[in-house]
Amino acid sequence: MKPGDRIELRIAGTGGQGLILSGKMLAEALATLGRHIAQSQTYEPTSRGGFCNSDLVVSETEVDYPLATKLDCLVLLDRLAIKPSWALLKPGALVIHDTRLCPELPPHANIQAYALPLSRTAIDLGSERVANMVALGALVALARLCPRNTLEQAVRAETPKSFLEINLDALGAGFALGEQASTASAAALAR
Amino acid sequence: MNAADSPLAARPAVQLVSGNHACALGAVAAGCRFFAGYPITPSSEIAERLSRALPEVDGVFVQMEDELASMAAVIGASMGGVKAMTATSGPGFSLKQENLGYAAGAEIPCVIVNVMRGGPSTGMPTRPSQADIMQSRWGSHGDYPIIVLTPASVREIYTETIRAFALAEKFRTPVILLYDQAIAQLTETVQLGDGMPCAERLWASGAREAYRPYAAAPGAVPAMARPGDGYRSHTTGLNHAEDGFPTQHPETVERNLGRLLTKLDSHLEEIASWECIDCEDADVLIVAIGISARASRRALEQCRSRGLRVGLFRPLTLWPFPENALQAAAAHARSVLVPELNTGQLRLEVERLLGRDRVAGLHRIDGEPIAPEQIAARAESLAKGTP
Repeated sequence: MKPGDRIELRIAGTGGQGLILSGKMLAEALATLGRHIAQSQTYEPTSRGGFCNSDLVVSETEVDYPLATKLDCLVLLDRLAIKPSWALLKPGALVIHDTRLCPELPPHANIQAYALPLSRTAIDLGSERVANMVALGALVALARLCPRNTLEQAVRAETPKSFLEINLDALGAGFALGEQASTASAAALAR
Repeated sequence: MNAADSPLAARPAVQLVSGNHACALGAVAAGCRFFAGYPITPSSEIAERLSRALPEVDGVFVQMEDELASMAAVIGASMGGVKAMTATSGPGFSLKQENLGYAAGAEIPCVIVNVMRGGPSTGMPTRPSQADIMQSRWGSHGDYPIIVLTPASVREIYTETIRAFALAEKFRTPVILLYDQAIAQLTETVQLGDGMPCAERLWASGAREAYRPYAAAPGAVPAMARPGDGYRSHTTGLNHAEDGFPTQHPETVERNLGRLLTKLDSHLEEIASWECIDCEDADVLIVAIGISARASRRALEQCRSRGLRVGLFRPLTLWPFPENALQAAAAHARSVLVPELNTGQLRLEVERLLGRDRVAGLHRIDGEPIAPEQIAARAESLAKGTP
């Protein structure tokens, strides 16, 4: 990042998917690299369901306005999250969407979209509840936000013991998905 | 005091802290050792944090049966000699008003946090609002003095919580910490430090038989009797004489109520706090608090980069309003813009001080914060004389 740069990220879906937790883990990881972070969220009064998102503003200097205004990266774990987020996308934004829960995107002139099996991978690992970790791994790998071990340390610090193994597995699987997608798109560009 | 000169600028280790977490940390740092409350979104994280933090410092946390009782318990704890607080949001703040008036009238130090959410009534529990600006000043019945502080960042919630306790103890008054959901549930990288020493209450000393709990010079703050020190004290919600017992004697009421109602005015220098950014040459002055002030800060940079002379005046002490500071900041401004998440509460106060002709509002009540671009666009049209 250059001084004065401001990156905005959103992980969005429905309440109960662990989006705020994954946002906080990413915030912890980026904070250890010396970045200034503002992490905010939107949720509905229901404890499960309803639109929910976790936003991060990342800056080299103190964050003036702490809420998202123009998204550089968007992760969609439910189709419900498209509408409140679509108008905020920056030209060229990275959009990662789940093949099961958000298979189709509305047309957009200028985004890099990746359909990845985030929740399917979580289910195959044994629990759909870790789709947030798969998503986090894929986001960090595709957007190259921080080194993998920095993120892993943050996940270890924030995860209860009983979930540590599956969370790290999910994170690793997400990283693999992100890196594959990145390589595939580079290869496509080369052709 | 201009907040930029604050001695709280010490910079220790960086940590990620939410606004409500910072409030709990500030309370403990200020010496708060009693919390009574009833959970309510979006303030519940304060209670949750203090339920763990207070027992660790030999403090007491009580989850009460309701909002009214919470306020009553806080008053009782404070009379018992302990720094005490509660936290709530709009619906709970309404329920606390009667006892809040009692604390103001009986001069019981305490801190009440009101995290503003959408209203009226149950409103929008998880969305931000700034519509309790007038309620925080005039919510309880009768004439009474009150201090209201409005932090705009996680770090400022920490420092202003400490300041809230200092002012409450020093001036024997309830102090309200008023901030919106957007700031409350925002997590930021901050360097909090150990805070600053918090003011302590003036306790009665000297001959016990001469002590009168409400005896003080006009505009001054009387000493409280510490329980167990042997001073005879009486506390009531009725209008009272210097000895604390009820009276309807007109001259006695006039003298005692008069002292109560002027005690903050005679210490405004110590109470007032604000931030001025680029006000000196501003053609357009923005006046804002909380998340709207954060958006205004960004709008100001956008306007300045387009060559527009825009400034920002941000009250940290909302009530008593820093009148002189605003009038000085707006001295050369042709237009004043008040962006806020209500239909014009702060604007009303600004109009009272600056006149209606040059004051414009920018209001939003749909549960969404005002974006910096909206403020910049309005400021630009005002700067170009096309409101």
